[in-house]
Amino acid sequence: MSLEKPTTPAEIGVTEDGLDYDALADLLGGHVLDRETHVNAEGFVIRPDEVQDVLSTLKTEAGFDHCACVTAQEYDDRYESIYHLRKYDDPTQELSIVVPSPKDDPHNQSGARVYDTADWHEREAYDLVGIDYDDHPDLRRILLPDTWQGHPLSQDYNQSQPQIVTLRENANPLQDDKRSEDDPDTMFVNIGPHHPATHGVLHVKTVLDGEQIADIDPDIGYLHRCEEQMCQNGTYRHQIMPYPDRWDYVSAGILNEWAYARAAEDLADIEVPEYAQVIRTMSAELCRIAAHMLALGTFALDVFGDFTAIFQYAFRDREVVQNILEDLTGQRLMFNYLRLGGVAWDLPEPREEFFEKVRDFLDDLPYKLEEYHDLITGNEIFQMRCVDTGVLSPELAKSYGATGPVARGSGVDYDLRRDDPYGYYDELDWNVVTETGCDNFSRVLVRMREVEESARIIEQCVDLLEQWPEDDREIQANVPRTLRPDPDREIYRAVEAAKGELGIYIRSDGTDKPARFKIRSPCFSNLQTLPEMSQGEYIPDMIASLGSLDIVLGEVDR
Amino acid sequence: MAPESAPLPETLAELAGMDPNSVPVMILMSLIGAALIGTLMMTNTALAGPWAKRKITAAFTDRIAVDRIGPFGLLIIVADSVRLLSKELIVPEGVDRPAWDLAPLLIASSALLGFAVIPMGNGLHLADPEVGLAYVFATASMASVGLVMAGYASNNKYSFLGGLRAVAQNLAYEIPLILTGASVVIFAGSLQMSEIVAAQSQTLIGPLPSWYAFVNPFAFALFMIANLAEVGRNPFDIPEAPTEIVAGYQTEYSSVYFVLIYLGEFIHIFLGGAIIATIFLGGPAGPVLPGIVWFLIKIWGVFLFTQWARSAVPRVRIDQLIEIGWKGMLVLSLANLLLTAVIVGVIA
Amino acid sequence: MIGIMKSMATTMKHALDGETFTVEYPDVAPEVSPRFRGVHKFSQERCIWCRQCENVCPNNTIQIVQDDQRNGEQYNLHIGQCIYCRLCEEVCPVDAILLTQNFEFTADTKDEFAYDKEQLKNVPWYKDIDPLESREPDRGAWIGEGDGEVDYQ
Repeated sequence: MSLEKPTTPAEIGVTEDGLDYDALADLLGGHVLDRETHVNAEGFVIRPDEVQDVLSTLKTEAGFDHCACVTAQEYDDRYESIYHLRKYDDPTQELSIVVPSPKDDPHNQSGARVYDTADWHEREAYDLVGIDYDDHPDLRRILLPDTWQGHPLSQDYNQSQPQIVTLRENANPLQDDKRSEDDPDTMFVNIGPHHPATHGVLHVKTVLDGEQIADIDPDIGYLHRCEEQMCQNGTYRHQIMPYPDRWDYVSAGILNEWAYARAAEDLADIEVPEYAQVIRTMSAELCRIAAHMLALGTFALDVFGDFTAIFQYAFRDREVVQNILEDLTGQRLMFNYLRLGGVAWDLPEPREEFFEKVRDFLDDLPYKLEEYHDLITGNEIFQMRCVDTGVLSPELAKSYGATGPVARGSGVDYDLRRDDPYGYYDELDWNVVTETGCDNFSRVLVRMREVEESARIIEQCVDLLEQWPEDDREIQANVPRTLRPDPDREIYRAVEAAKGELGIYIRSDGTDKPARFKIRSPCFSNLQTLPEMSQGEYIPDMIASLGSLDIVLGEVDR
Repeated sequence: MAPESAPLPETLAELAGMDPNSVPVMILMSLIGAALIGTLMMTNTALAGPWAKRKITAAFTDRIAVDRIGPFGLLIIVADSVRLLSKELIVPEGVDRPAWDLAPLLIASSALLGFAVIPMGNGLHLADPEVGLAYVFATASMASVGLVMAGYASNNKYSFLGGLRAVAQNLAYEIPLILTGASVVIFAGSLQMSEIVAAQSQTLIGPLPSWYAFVNPFAFALFMIANLAEVGRNPFDIPEAPTEIVAGYQTEYSSVYFVLIYLGEFIHIFLGGAIIATIFLGGPAGPVLPGIVWFLIKIWGVFLFTQWARSAVPRVRIDQLIEIGWKGMLVLSLANLLLTAVIVGVIA
Repeated sequence: MIGIMKSMATTMKHALDGETFTVEYPDVAPEVSPRFRGVHKFSQERCIWCRQCENVCPNNTIQIVQDDQRNGEQYNLHIGQCIYCRLCEEVCPVDAILLTQNFEFTADTKDEFAYDKEQLKNVPWYKDIDPLESREPDRGAWIGEGDGEVDYQ
């Protein structure tokens, strides 16, 4: 069956029942100052000037090839950066590297030389929390403007301080834009933040050599809405759940909600009833189909040029999914359907009608996908445009922490639904889709085939729900009205969202609100690969690569 | 066979009872005739731009589109004209003034000029010079000068890229276009439009007329594809390429100038259709209906084809386009020309 | 070429079958699910001024003003700021606040969306659907309970 993975040669610390952290600590020897226990993994505390040594040892010798996230936070007595490491082969093998740094001059060594993905994550940590990373290739603000004063998530940040920067003080955006200084034959172009193909407010600073891309630097943050801080100001039980819908806002809402629900439920030891898990699985896969339909449509838009037929067909088909989700959750995008310990609503009455609606959709789907294949993947000009453009090798994909269809399009067999099972996925029969083309075409194919797999999952869920005994339809576990997890519990949990690994780090402090809420957004990591994919390519290929990454700026900027 | 009827100015002069041999009368009548034909084509464009294009695109994409104002939503044309004309004309800082202003005029007028020599049937034929086909190609390619002017004068990098792309594209496709047109000239033995139309008036096999589209379907297909590139429609809309370079050469234009460029594009499509109709589809020939109706049906057919291609064909990349143009189309059109010459030489 | 022909054939098929998926809004009003969450409706008669809705609201959209005897005086809700999460309805023990299916609301300025309790009471039902009927079956519906005129005051 597909859910089994090929076994890899035994690495240090790998045992039958989970990781042996003692062996890992032995590997690192004197580097480990202290050991913490987080809910998901153990944390090794190391010295701030030994980060690169420790990370490269773990990457090369212990097989931790995936730096999922870098979380920075400020305590009363220290700053702390946490590197959440996992393995692409088995993401349940996790390890947190905790790097404390002093309060008065917070700095530690950068991990960006070991994991490319740490580059942006550390820039974000520097930007929002204010930790300096030594030896970082390019440490500057990433989400906030360059002229921003202070670091908003640090404790002494003055929220009432005005942040108005006059144009005179700001760098003149039009200065020296004819060519880059060192190469007189190139031309600098701002693609975005308001450009038809940037899928939102992404700003790509591009240096062109004729029609080819000489240098490219994605500039993000135009849609930064302080989502992490908003979650830190909301209560676990109710107030956080509406917001995940707004991260990846193109109808992937339930997948995002599940990320928070999974982290918070594990943090507070809440058991979710099986019936609710099935409903969650079904609704999440419906969301995935809707999100992939949109990805397909907008990618076609980028390659075909205008608002052509495929975009509209994709929207028409997505509309059907949205109608089903509206019946189920009460809203078309901002579902707010999951609750800690269950879901908000049982299936709508009459149930038969709802099942019929879902079944009709599933029955039509193969025909529609056939049509998309005729329109898109079978088209020779489309193949000409997409095959072997925007190539992302598996090694680079791993180093940049790419996940989801982007990684799977590069042949990286990584899907948290199978590798780190949650919900009802491990009870169902489905396949993880991978393509080995590593190019734009593969990424599109992966999405289209994933829609088929999602349809299989939904079908099985509908069967299960239909036969579920009537007296056992428990949609909500017993959860206290005010949830106060024990103080100083830390957890990093991820789910497979539409774009990849959506992880949530929560640290509790005994109150009913999280002390630190960090979102590991898949789009954020995936977008980092854009320069690798488009350097030396033509502008249209860069646009196509950007489209094939399927970023949602709401999730990139949070 | 002689031309269907005398050119339009002479007919007008006779209708008005004036002397067709006096020069001032002919100048006046030519102007009136030009105004007539210009109005006819502008009417077509007005129908195509705000209304037909929306309706056609909507049909391809399963939508309803304009249907609120007037019968079939036709009055949207009036509403759109008022809307577009009442917009503020924004002149960006740093544009190269006379060139920037002239470009839209050039784009719109160059295509209109071409209609002067197109026989539209029922005597709607302004002039019939012996170099008719060469004249049409010459005026049609004047538009690329307008595109370059627009691209350069706008002081915008996207416009600049669009202008450069337009030149590269037109260079790559004008030559195959004209070479394919030349193969028709070899068949007809004349550059004069009325002669070319007349040469297609026999029947080929059974009821099939001897239109050059049937005589040489290969040349017809080549010409259709080259024409798509010439008028800048999918898959060759790269000078505009909305998702890559925003709107190409027309990025900085607003209000009336935008309308002019937009009009120019549509007239250009119709001119392309008119050339195809004349040299491949027998001009205004057709059963039952009057010639002008057949002529309009043919040019609208070509317009429909461009919209159809737009709905389903992705845009090629600039380097691929140049490659198709120089390595594919040029070779094929040369081969076509050579073969035609040999065949015509052997038969004649 | 075959692929391109197939693509073009597909779009032409769609053009000729005459099916459309858009509707002529507002002439044809779209179907809205019974669970849809639109503008709030407030019942002063039911409200016990427990302030739970104000408490649970994630972005402080609800503002309640009470006098010194804790009698309710004002119930303000900014429907333009609201994120329509339905938590207020969920925590309300007496179903005094309810999200109707009504999604059609416009105003010239944002301020006009700051509804007070009178405006909230007068929010019309969309197509006369009482959302409560479709929600928990054990809750009493607002309209349709008993016959005759509905009085939510």
